[in-house]
Amino acid sequence: MHKATFKLTFALLATMALLSTACGSDSESGSDSTSSGGDSAAAMTIAVPADQPTIQEAVDAAKPGTLILISPGVYNEDVDVTTDNLTLRGLDRNTVILDGQFKLENGIRVLEANGVVVENMTARNFTSNGFYWTGVEGYRGSYLTAYRNGDYGIYAFDAVNGQLDNSYGSGSPDAGFYIGECYPCNALIDNVVSEFNGLGYSGTNSGGDLFIVNSTFRNNRAGVVPNSGSYELCYPERDTTVVGNIVHDNNSVEAPAIEVALLAQGNGILLPGGVRNLIQRNLVFNHDRTGIGLVPYPEEDASDLAPDAAEWDTPCSETHDVEVPPIPAADCKAVDGLLKGCVVFWNPYENRILDNTISDSGAADLAVGTVDLLGLGVTTDLLRNCFSGNTFATSAPNDLQALAPCDAAGNGGSWDSGALDLLGLLGSPAAAPPEDTYKTTPEPGEQTNMPNAAKAPVTPAPTGPPKVDIEAIALPARPAGT
Amino acid sequence: MTSSAIRPRARLAAAVVMLGSAAILLGACSTSSASSGESGSENSQISPLSPARHLGPQGQVGQFVTDCGYSHSAPDDPIVFPGQPGMSHEHDFFGNTSTNADSTTQSLLKADTTCQKQRDTAAYWAPQLRDHGEAVTPVKSVAYYRAAPGVDPKLVVPYPEGLHIIAGDMTATEPLSADLAGWACGVSSSHDATPPQCPDSAPLRAVMTFPDCWDGVNADSKNHKSHMANSSEGLCPSTHPVHVPQLTFAVAYPISGTGHDLTLASGSTYGIHADFINAWDQAGLANEIKLCVNRDVVCGLSSNRDEDPLFGPK
Repeated sequence: MHKATFKLTFALLATMALLSTACGSDSESGSDSTSSGGDSAAAMTIAVPADQPTIQEAVDAAKPGTLILISPGVYNEDVDVTTDNLTLRGLDRNTVILDGQFKLENGIRVLEANGVVVENMTARNFTSNGFYWTGVEGYRGSYLTAYRNGDYGIYAFDAVNGQLDNSYGSGSPDAGFYIGECYPCNALIDNVVSEFNGLGYSGTNSGGDLFIVNSTFRNNRAGVVPNSGSYELCYPERDTTVVGNIVHDNNSVEAPAIEVALLAQGNGILLPGGVRNLIQRNLVFNHDRTGIGLVPYPEEDASDLAPDAAEWDTPCSETHDVEVPPIPAADCKAVDGLLKGCVVFWNPYENRILDNTISDSGAADLAVGTVDLLGLGVTTDLLRNCFSGNTFATSAPNDLQALAPCDAAGNGGSWDSGALDLLGLLGSPAAAPPEDTYKTTPEPGEQTNMPNAAKAPVTPAPTGPPKVDIEAIALPARPAGT
Repeated sequence: MTSSAIRPRARLAAAVVMLGSAAILLGACSTSSASSGESGSENSQISPLSPARHLGPQGQVGQFVTDCGYSHSAPDDPIVFPGQPGMSHEHDFFGNTSTNADSTTQSLLKADTTCQKQRDTAAYWAPQLRDHGEAVTPVKSVAYYRAAPGVDPKLVVPYPEGLHIIAGDMTATEPLSADLAGWACGVSSSHDATPPQCPDSAPLRAVMTFPDCWDGVNADSKNHKSHMANSSEGLCPSTHPVHVPQLTFAVAYPISGTGHDLTLASGSTYGIHADFINAWDQAGLANEIKLCVNRDVVCGLSSNRDEDPLFGPK
């Protein structure tokens, strides 16, 4: 069995780790020496364009700890950062503009450089991403505006210890904000606005001290959509905390979209194959399909089977480099006429949906459903999701809070009564917009500047999990005019 | 290995060390492939005909990916029939928009590109796919640049300007190793010698893996192949000692489901092959190799996220 192999590999690796502790320290030396601090070098400031004509030249001249202060202007460059602990700061968020002119790929790309802070500037018109961190420990993006970028607005991949705050992402066919392939991610998204994207938030195979709070996701094709899948590493998506957000009107047929966004269209908070997430005190309204929906992600031609619950706590660092052998043919199934190749159903398990206020949803305010197309005996009632304290009008199945409350036994009612028509929903995705739609999404209005950008001291990127008192975050009030 | 605070490179090195130690301590494996990963760059062994190929989900080794739209088709082949327009079977061209029988590296360097990375002005091409005899217009191509499995990523250097490489064998009438050239659904690394029936959410791709060892002298050779070789267990043969990126080139077609009768302009689908002329902006290529391949960073991915939805209307 494949899963047995998986476990055996873990056991072997663990044994090897014990046997080879002497070599372990050896192999780590030299690769991580600058991750904590960067204060060894005297703090230096480089002004662009006064000291260096371009942002890239400033980055290349910088040493760990350097503050790069960028004056207003349109910079037609794509910046690569490979030095730890730099701070790139615009003097004015709305007029310090990186512009890719739909030719350059990423506004700022941070590649395995730890502790890099980017703040108070705009990135637009890039063919891939506005702001991008990958392979890093420690990152922060604050007071950023990303719009009309061809993949993601603000994107963190295989990155831990992060914070994205006071930022705005719009006009991306994938997601405005994305944190993926990390567990634990130790990351916080706080006070951001994401609109006119394919997805407001997306995060594949991420979670673990990952908080999305105090933010607004509106007028996207779908709002907050973390998901699982073996097409990338560190599956499944689990332990993401979504608290105190306003999620509304994510039905846009004009926003740009990758195909996944068309499938997710019209849902507020959707957890395709998400596991053990906490969705609490969000205000969710006006969605063509579900307000909060827990659904499977059926992956065709999958690379691996979904791990057992016993493996959900395994850190990404322990599975990241483990070879994934093909799924044995005996464990592979297709679904005649519907799903081809080696199909794996990523089901939503053990999510807790608490104290949200959901209204005006076309299919259901609260929904959970799966279909046992593979004949594995996994039905909706066995997924251990729970719902308590929510204010809502409709649910699928009917009377969901009585059926599956979080702090008490269910009432034993029927899971079939008013069940979600999953096949119907999956079978009717929205029509695709033209590929270049992202290039013409609305211009953002004036965005709030960081306080005292010229003089504020450097605030380092996080070095560990965020400290978030979720109990202190109240259900948001409905914004005027919505 | 006490915390998650280990960077990918360190993890990789640690894994190699651990595997190595384990082999010694367990005394079971004599010289496993793991022991060769960090050693020298050349030996005298014979280069295998098929490349070692990366398997499983992307993201385990450093890579950069360049997506290039379909540019044009022509019966031209500037590697095999230079200066002889119309001599070749029909090819689909990607990347450089000017590629034709008369192309030279210099002419290519001046032209535009269909690639998302504008600095990728390289010429990529593959034989035209036909369905019931009708030309299939490809969706795009995806080029992955990585260190081949087992190769120390720090050893990889950029292709020299103007390097010509061919992957696969256009004359094949029997199945080649699917590692060399084959067919897949979407980004799956599971390859077949003939086109499989693919789901709409992961349509058909032809996937070719180019050799990753260069002789260090010649940008081309008489048979267009002998200046290049495949690495084996992380090592290049002494005849071809220079590690260059292992280029895996995929052509995505709007083909899924049943009812297809697929052939290539070159004949059997066994004969899928691809050609590459390095006409990248050389500084741009060197930068990506330094930042992504040498440092073992996943700078980008290709995914099925933009493929047709599940259960979608047919």
